[in-house]
Amino acid sequence: MTVLGGIGFTAPWLLLGLLALPILWLILRAIPPAPVRRRFPGVALLLGLKDDDSISDRTPWWLLALRMLALAALIVGLAGPVLNPQQDRAGRGPLLIVLDASWAGAPRWTARLELLDAQLAEAGRGGRPVALLALTAPEPLNFQSADIWRSRLPGLAPAPWQPTAAQLEVARAAVEEGGAGGFDTLWLGDGLAYPDRAPLLGALRARGDLRVVETGQPVLGIGPAGFKDGAVQLTLHRSDVGPAREVTVLAQGHDPAGTARVLASLPARFEPGATEASAALSLPAELRARITRFEIQGQRSAGAMTLADDRLRRREVALIAGREDREGLELLSPLHYLKQALAPSADLLEGALLDLIPANPDVIVMADVATLSQAEQAALTGWVEKGGMLLRFAGPHLAASDVSRTEEDPLMPVRLRSGGRTVGGAMSWGAPKALAAFPPDTPFAGLPIPEDVNVSAQVMAQPDPVLAERVIAALGDGTPLVTRKALGQGQVVLFHVTANAEWSTLPLSGLFVQMLERLAVSSSAKPPQAGDLAGTTWRPVQVMDGFGTLHDAGNLPGVAGEALAGAPPGPDLRPGIYDDGERRLARNVLGPEAVLTPVQWPEGVPVETLTRTPERPLGGPLLALALLLLVADVIAALALGGRLMPSRGRIAALGAALCLAGLPGHPVGAQDSDADQTAFALAATHELTLAHVLTGNAELDDIARAGLRGLSDTLSFRTSVEPAPPMGVDLERDELAFFPILYWPVTPEQPRPSDAAYAKLNAYLRSGGMILFDTRDANIASFGAASPNGRKLQELAAPLDIPPLEPVPRDHVLTRAFYLLQDFPGRHAEGRIWVEAAPPDAEQIEGMPFRNLNDGVTPVVIGGNDWAGAWAVDRDGRPLLPVGRGFTGERQRELALRFGVNLIMHVLTGNYKSDQVHVPALLDRLGQ
Amino acid sequence: MTSPSAPTLRERAEAEAARLPPLLARADHLAGTVLLGEHGRRRAGLGDDFWQYRPAQPGDSRRMIDHRRSARGDQQFVREREWQIAQSVMLWVDQGASMRFTSHDRLPTKADRARLLGLALAILLVQGGERVGLTGSALPPRRGRNQILRLAEALGVDAPEDYAPPEHRAMIPHARAVFLSDFLGDLHEVERALTKAADRGVRGVLFQVLDPSEESFPFQGRTIFESVGGTLRHETLKAGELRDRYRARLAARRDRLAALCRATGWRLGLHHTQDSAQSALLWLYRALDGGTS
Repeated sequence: MTVLGGIGFTAPWLLLGLLALPILWLILRAIPPAPVRRRFPGVALLLGLKDDDSISDRTPWWLLALRMLALAALIVGLAGPVLNPQQDRAGRGPLLIVLDASWAGAPRWTARLELLDAQLAEAGRGGRPVALLALTAPEPLNFQSADIWRSRLPGLAPAPWQPTAAQLEVARAAVEEGGAGGFDTLWLGDGLAYPDRAPLLGALRARGDLRVVETGQPVLGIGPAGFKDGAVQLTLHRSDVGPAREVTVLAQGHDPAGTARVLASLPARFEPGATEASAALSLPAELRARITRFEIQGQRSAGAMTLADDRLRRREVALIAGREDREGLELLSPLHYLKQALAPSADLLEGALLDLIPANPDVIVMADVATLSQAEQAALTGWVEKGGMLLRFAGPHLAASDVSRTEEDPLMPVRLRSGGRTVGGAMSWGAPKALAAFPPDTPFAGLPIPEDVNVSAQVMAQPDPVLAERVIAALGDGTPLVTRKALGQGQVVLFHVTANAEWSTLPLSGLFVQMLERLAVSSSAKPPQAGDLAGTTWRPVQVMDGFGTLHDAGNLPGVAGEALAGAPPGPDLRPGIYDDGERRLARNVLGPEAVLTPVQWPEGVPVETLTRTPERPLGGPLLALALLLLVADVIAALALGGRLMPSRGRIAALGAALCLAGLPGHPVGAQDSDADQTAFALAATHELTLAHVLTGNAELDDIARAGLRGLSDTLSFRTSVEPAPPMGVDLERDELAFFPILYWPVTPEQPRPSDAAYAKLNAYLRSGGMILFDTRDANIASFGAASPNGRKLQELAAPLDIPPLEPVPRDHVLTRAFYLLQDFPGRHAEGRIWVEAAPPDAEQIEGMPFRNLNDGVTPVVIGGNDWAGAWAVDRDGRPLLPVGRGFTGERQRELALRFGVNLIMHVLTGNYKSDQVHVPALLDRLGQ
Repeated sequence: MTSPSAPTLRERAEAEAARLPPLLARADHLAGTVLLGEHGRRRAGLGDDFWQYRPAQPGDSRRMIDHRRSARGDQQFVREREWQIAQSVMLWVDQGASMRFTSHDRLPTKADRARLLGLALAILLVQGGERVGLTGSALPPRRGRNQILRLAEALGVDAPEDYAPPEHRAMIPHARAVFLSDFLGDLHEVERALTKAADRGVRGVLFQVLDPSEESFPFQGRTIFESVGGTLRHETLKAGELRDRYRARLAARRDRLAALCRATGWRLGLHHTQDSAQSALLWLYRALDGGTS
């Protein structure tokens, strides 16, 4: 392959054809364009006219250039040009391939392996023995045939750490021992600097040529997740200062079904010239607690992933105080210090105990709560047994109560002696007691005790056989301060002092916070310090490989706490999740102070990038270009010859059509329904509006509308209710909450509303709406199955949330809400109507005209008297339909209207008229 | 109950009628815009309308004296009527293939425009009381609405040859003639027709109807020009360079036509198909009218 100007040619001799171009220029430009045939009557006048110039018309220069270009593209294309031609680099002698094989190389590991494979293949062709040295897992050099190494390539994997000093030392020793005769070296670097590289480098350069191949791409990493200002804080690193770059961080976790999925993704942006980027993720506590790890999208490496541990998990703590009657005295509130201590690291819930237990908090804190109701006791016990933690604080109430006095209360860790004790007070002997050092096997082991913490009052535990093992903190004189017992899977912890500063100064000290932390009431937002972890041993639960995939730790040995906190990761300290029995710690590849430094190779070491652009043959595109140019030439020649003229409009139209076809269509009509809904809501709410359900039967709907119009008119004339013109309501589409009453005429043929509509109707009924069902058949079948309307009514009303019904009793408020009525005729006068049944215990009091009935409005009124027909008026206010006969009929219409007025009054005022039953009592109370 | 022959009769009638209406309707419409009514000759003569009273002169027959006017005084008056005499107007509309040309979709062909003008003029003249016909013996001048229908029918016939020579046979002496053509064919024929007409005392109008492209010659590049009938062709490599010479030839042809007209007392008109037909019709009408007064 010949390389000319960075482009290789497979058939360079064909390029000589380019020399023919000037000749073609001379030939081509003399060819006249094809003639155009035109019909022209004036040709008679042209006969005999000669052209002045006998030389033919010249082809325009740009057409010539176009043709030349097409030809040149054709020639060059046939010459087989190749962009980025691969040059052969032959070498002799043994070859050592050094791999960093750290996590930084994991994202492009496949490319690395491909390159390695190519190198091995080349070495194999050259018959060179090859040795492979992975710095993260060094072994003595073993020069073998390249084919053997090729077969072992799939076994290579990046390690989740950088080469450690010890490994580098091993590697250097291997180099010095192994390569007696000298060899060339190819170093596949990962691009990150690490200390102690120089000796190995020197040893390699002493043996032969050193060539370095790097990815050329920056390494991305992510630091441990922190929690600050209510959001998860993430810090991202990159190894080079480059232009701005956007990356996406994915928060991975398990959904409630246990399936691993992306819970959130957040963008982070490296500013130009910055090597760090930060991102904050604000999530609900429930979701946040599910996050198991964060990773940078598209970067499959251990460093681009950070595991989340307990530090991210904010515990939910329910606070319950025994007394809350001292308003304004914040500092004396039993919960004040608890809130202060827990608020930064936990989510606090407050409320009634029975409301809080279903929320399943992690911890329930009860400050000075003595007695619990039966139900509370049972619920709380059940909750603790299922793994909850109940943290109780003593106080005056508990000290004065009989709880856990003679028998141990299940929700108390110990029995208490009555009264408690006070030390160091004005009326008592002795000084306030200090705390004893925490015994080593308790959760508080190792916490320093400030000197100013003392206790002046406490409740005392009854000496019991089990007392000793339940004490986890004691005072200097040995009296228990904190006791704990297990209950089912959970535990109950009692602080024998108050949660405020009344009995002790403990809540004022930092120790209080630390104790709560140790009790796992709160979770610390700070990373553990080496000092905290000194002497502890942590068991790996899951460890990462170089790609960031978590594996079961298996039989890996435990790790000392100091190392876990501080040491860099290595084969002995693999990144992953560690467990000490109570807490879980995540050990990530990058610590909070990590910086990714790009490697600086010494002068004289040739560095190539892995991002070698592959060979790209240009012949195809060039030939295509030539073809396109020839097509353009055809069109241009046609245009020159004038043959394109008549179709110019068509071409323009075609172009326009192509342009239009490319345009995406606009979604139309998405906003229409919103606007409709708003208009509907405005129309329904600017005045009180009566509504009827649209049945789909136009005649029926018209009657219903006219009926409600007549009723609205009557209401306006006679009462202070002045409704707007009535509206028809589509149950499927319209919001019902705007209407106090829905009139629902029943026809056998109307469709059954959808489930969504029924949900809306039930919500409407529960929130105080009323539906007036009208079967319009005079109730001839007494709502049996005999009448089609009755059957339809049963079908329609079945899914509705309707209370038990009864026929209107004679003392129902409907009979006197505005008018005194005893029957409720519409166009029919016969049928009874049904309303919500009175409670069974409603009794008529002697001397009262009516019973003290239930409050509230009946949600449904069911009848069959065709009230809308009786109410219906036309636009001029004249009755639409005849009622009865003669004057009697008009009287019936009047009564129908009165029923309507009473109904609306009942809907709007509730059982206000029923309150008359209270008149004697009121008068009595007023001393009349 | 219909006889079996009725459909065929009706079909034939409809087929006949279908040929006429478009042109006739447009011509009617066009003529309606110019309608002037029964036109007098602005001079005393035979006719129905009063023209003037003039004193009786010696030589006037006694019967010519208008007694009603003369009885008012001592002088005797003769009542003169306006001269209303029907003229014979003969049309020749070029039916040759060269007329069936238009340079643009939106322009009518020259033949279309010429027929429209001819028929509209005929309608105007017939309504003015003149007799209208075609030159030649096919359709001698007559009056009446039926003549219009016959004219419309006769004008719808295309001639096969490229440049039709003017029909100059059977010209009625002292009649008027209107020749509508593009006059791009052999001018000798025109000359012969005009001299023959002049011999017979026939005067009239030569009306040249041209397509705009024939006037402007907007062609470029290598072109083969063909006549519409395909009998003539001319190839050029640079059509643009022929433009000036073409236009010079066209102007020379028009000069020759004008000279002919001056010699024979005819008038020469020019119309381009992109212009409105109405102005052309007005000009034609005036040209004929002016000839009579």
